[in-house]
Parts: sequence; structure tokens; C-alpha cells
Amino acid sequence: MSMLPRVLRKSFSNRKSRIAIAIVAVMMGASIASALLTMSMGVTEKIGTEFRKFGSNIMLIPESNTIEIGLPGVSFGSVTEQSYINETDLYKIKRIAKWSSNVLGYAPFLYQVVTVTTPSQPLEVVLAGTYFDRPVPEIRDFTGNPWTTGIRKIAPYWEVQGAWVEDMNDRKGCIVGVAAAAKLGLEVGSLFGASYLNPETRNETTLDLEVSGLVATGGVEDSQVFVNMEVAQELTARDNKVHSVQVSAHCVDCPAEDIAIEIEKVLPDIEAKSVRQLVKAEEQMMMSLQQMMMLIAAVGLGASVLGVMTTMTTTVIERRREIGLMKSIGAENSRIASLFLGEAALTGLAGGLVGYVVGFILAQSIGVSVFNTTMEFIPVVLPFTVGVSMGVAVLASLIPIRRALGIEPAAVLRGD
Amino acid sequence: MYGGRTLALDGISLDIMEGECVSIVGPSGSGKTTLLNIIGCLDAPTGGKVRVNGELVSSMGQRDLTRFRRENIGLIFQQYHMVPYLTVLENVMLAQYFHSTVDEEDAIRALESVGLGRRLDHVPAHLSGGEQQRACIARALINEPKILLADEPTGNLDQKNGDIVLDMIDGLHEEGHTVVMVTHNPSIWKRTGRVIEIVDGRVHGDKSSPLRTAPAAESADGTVAGKTEVVA
Repeated sequence: MSMLPRVLRKSFSNRKSRIAIAIVAVMMGASIASALLTMSMGVTEKIGTEFRKFGSNIMLIPESNTIEIGLPGVSFGSVTEQSYINETDLYKIKRIAKWSSNVLGYAPFLYQVVTVTTPSQPLEVVLAGTYFDRPVPEIRDFTGNPWTTGIRKIAPYWEVQGAWVEDMNDRKGCIVGVAAAAKLGLEVGSLFGASYLNPETRNETTLDLEVSGLVATGGVEDSQVFVNMEVAQELTARDNKVHSVQVSAHCVDCPAEDIAIEIEKVLPDIEAKSVRQLVKAEEQMMMSLQQMMMLIAAVGLGASVLGVMTTMTTTVIERRREIGLMKSIGAENSRIASLFLGEAALTGLAGGLVGYVVGFILAQSIGVSVFNTTMEFIPVVLPFTVGVSMGVAVLASLIPIRRALGIEPAAVLRGD
Repeated sequence: MYGGRTLALDGISLDIMEGECVSIVGPSGSGKTTLLNIIGCLDAPTGGKVRVNGELVSSMGQRDLTRFRRENIGLIFQQYHMVPYLTVLENVMLAQYFHSTVDEEDAIRALESVGLGRRLDHVPAHLSGGEQQRACIARALINEPKILLADEPTGNLDQKNGDIVLDMIDGLHEEGHTVVMVTHNPSIWKRTGRVIEIVDGRVHGDKSSPLRTAPAAESADGTVAGKTEVVA
């Protein structure tokens, strides 16, 4: 064994209690840093997913074409031509270049006003065609099966009483918002007819529908009726057309705007708008959470620096004679420094390893009690914690080492 | 000068030739140890010139003084001064480590030569004073220094162990080492070839014995290789 490790090993075993104090000092800061980093990375991921449960954060609408109207030289303003998005292009949303894995799902919507005949009087209600849990043949998941998307993916907060509509081959089932159901006097299992008057052909078509389930979201959906996209397209003779698409994107480490821009690239005739308010609030909350955790970790590590510095200063004072002796027999300052830096690094290594374990347990405890979830093992936290701990120990040793290097051998050896 | 007030040495001027065995004697506080420390590059004079082995050490920086001490000087202390948690063998190897490279076999041979071949794995606290001082001598010699400086080397030893240590130092002088010892024990300084008496920081007497002083080799330019010259 070369001399430095030999001296370090003997020095450690000779001063177990002092070293233990230094290791505990490092461990305390390291455990806080480890716990908060685990939480920061784990909870942010979970919070991001939780946010997605509140709905989509990107809205796709057709690019609006405005037509100038008026007489020569006199403008009367403009009108917007009704535009649609091609349903067959929608799979491209999941094929964007950089952030495709962040696209959790999407749901297209085709709206029309229909008339429902009730026992008392006919009432108008918005009928929306959409996907519920639709397989997309162009996209495969990791098992090789078609990836599925629809309302059930992007709006997990929907509380449906009864059953969901089957996406394929269910031409009769519908989900009715609770407000609409109350107005129309419908309940799960009710049969009703919905009539649509085509404004162009003046033909009226009637759909026979059955209430599969009732939905309560607290939003506009409570006043609407939802059917399969094909049913709505056939009713209104708008084959392959949708009015809008809601996209749910997971945005922990990317701005939703970037995803929106990428979607616009693959679907050139649409406008993709991120729901800025939600996204900003989400980002700000995550940023505040991370800043708070970083602050606490910094305070913990600062306390570790002070603890190690105090211990190392005491060690240097206790070992003045030994340092003086080493200098007198020819030790250069670099050798003395490497001895103390080696001790500091080993202290940091031990404190970091113990601190990581304690921090992981701490993170589990906080995760379960505060966020009601366990924290996953995040590999990068271990080297980070150990690295920071070693850095803290070395940093805390610089002033004591400087003091050690200033020791005059003659003064120490004569007992001053 | 210490604390800006007390002059430890004042007006000292002396030469010590290569191969000499010199005692520095005098009452307590007379400046003996300060003189030894200056020769050993552990202390720097506030004025004057010190030339050791042909090099002007009084003008050297701390780094050069450490290098010079490491390469040229072996130190033997009254209090032995060993690293308490290392074995005797490791204490000797530590001096090798600071000098250049560690050679465990060499370190073992050095300890065997001072009669500590069976005490290699003992820590200093488990050795007698005489054994610790012998280990200190082995450590001082391990890097083959030209000059051996000893501060009261038998001060903490009984008669028997003191004689053993002094016999070893005599042997080293016979081998050609320059030996400078600080002592206030007349039975020791009588064994050396030259006695320099320091009183109140000044040379009060300098008695030589030609029989015990080895001749110095003089070079063509008149400088004496290995000569130690102190003007403070």
C-alpha cells in the first residue's frame, strides 16, 4: 500500500470520534440535499402528471381565412370562412420531432347544435363528436399495439356515472353532461332522438341515441352531449373534418410553446395555442417548489460546511506537533495539504453515502406523508449527493488547511 | 529575534567544516537551539548570512528551505517527535515519502541497524525512550543526509540508553557525517571534537580538538564544500 492511503487509514482509525463527528456533519447536509433532490425530481415528475389530469394544455384550431368584403374602394370589413382540421392528419401530432414522447394524448371535437325532443318541448343542445379511447393505427406503443388516445387520456378528471362509449362500432351510445341531462330529463339508459337540420341542404337527419353515461366536469362539458366522431361527421355530412383538437402535453422540462410550434410544423394549416395561464401557473409552481428545495438544501449544506470546518480546525490544532514534525523532516506544503484534503474527501465520501441512504428514507417518508406517493430510486441522485458532499468537505477544509500550512515547525517542536 | 524584542543570537560568526563533530553548549536560553534550528533551516535569521553545504540558506524561501532540509539534514530531537499513530517502521517510511520514494526494505534495514529489527510494528508509545531515540536516528539517516543535527539527544534518556545513542552518533561521525549537537551535558561535549559555547546569544568560547576534526576538502575557488558558515 502506498504511503498516503496508509497514513490516512491510520489517522482515521486513531481519531474515530473526531472523524465520526465530521461524517455526521456532512451526512446531515447530504441527507437533506439527497432527500430534496429525490423529491424535486420525483415530485416534479408526479406533479407534472397530476397537472395533466386537469386537462389539455394545447388547443389546435384551423388557421382562419378572412375574406375582405365590400365595394371597390370601400371596405365593409371581413368575414371568417368556416375551416376544419383533417382528421386523417391528427396522428402527426404524436410524430413531432423532438417532444413526441411528451404528447400524452389528444382528442378532436366536431360540434353542432341539435334539437332534442322532450315530453314538454323541443330543446337545443350542443352535440360533440370526439374520441373516447381510440386506437391510432399509425402509432404503435412499446408493445407493438396501436397507441390509443381520446378524452379518457387527456381528461382523466371526467367523472362518468354509468359507462363510457365504446369508440369502435358504438353508433348509438353517448355521454351526456349532467346539466344537459337534467334539462332534457335524461338518465343512464334513456333513449332519445337528436335532430340536425343541415343549413345548406335544409335536410333534417335524426339520430337515435342511448345514454351510456353522465359526466360532471364543472365546465362547459356539463351542458353538452358526446358521441363518437364518425356519428357526428355523418350527421352533419362533414366527413374527415374536426373543429378543434385538445392536446395534453407533459411539460416538466419543456415549455408547452415549443410543443405547439412543433405541432404547427407537422400540421401546417392549424394554429396551436398553449393554454398559457395553466402552463405558466404550472411552471411557476414547479419553479417555486424547486427554489424552495434548493434553498433548504443550501442551508443544510452550509451547516455541514460549518460543522466540518469546526471539526477540521480542531483537528489541525490538535495535530500541530505532528504537522510541525512532518514539515521538519521535509514535507512540502502540498504533501501536508494532500493529507488533509484526502481526509476531507474520505469524510465527504462516507458522509455522502450515509447521507444518501438517510435522504432516500427521508424522501420516502415526506413523499408518503405530504404527497401521498412513494419516491422512486433516481440513479443520478447518488453520485450527485456523494460529489456535493465531497465538495462540501473539501471546501470546509480549505481554511483549516491554510492554517496547517502556516505552522512553523521550529515553534511547534520547541513546544510554543 | 522573537516577538520583535529579544535577540536570540547576536553577532555570531562561525564556520563548521565538513565531517566535524561539534557540540554547542551553554546555559538555558542562551540561543543554542535557535542556532541549531537556523543551521537546520527550521528557523531563518532576521539578519546576517548562513551558508550550509555551499548554499546560502539565509536567502532561501520557505519552499527551498524545506527542499534543502529534506535533502541535506537529518534531525534528532530531545522529545523524539514521532507520529503517534504510525508504527516505528511507518515513521521511518514517512521520511522517505516526503523525500522521494518509499522503500520498505531500506526502512527495515535502517531500523535493524539501530537494533529495532524486532520492534518494527510497534507504535512509539510502546517503545522505551532509548528505543524511540534510536528510531529517531534511523529516521534521520534514512535519506542519507550529510549533516546530522541533534538537540539534546540524550536529554530524556538514562545513562545506559544515552551511551548507546551517543555511540551511534559517534559511529555516524566516523562514517563521515557532519554532526552538530546541542547539549549542556559535559560528558557528551567531551566526546566531540569541537565545543562552541554560546552565552546570551554570542559565541563565548570555541575549543577545537584536532584529533577529532576531519580535514575539509577545499576547492579551486577557495570555497569549502560541506562547510557550514553562520554570521548572524
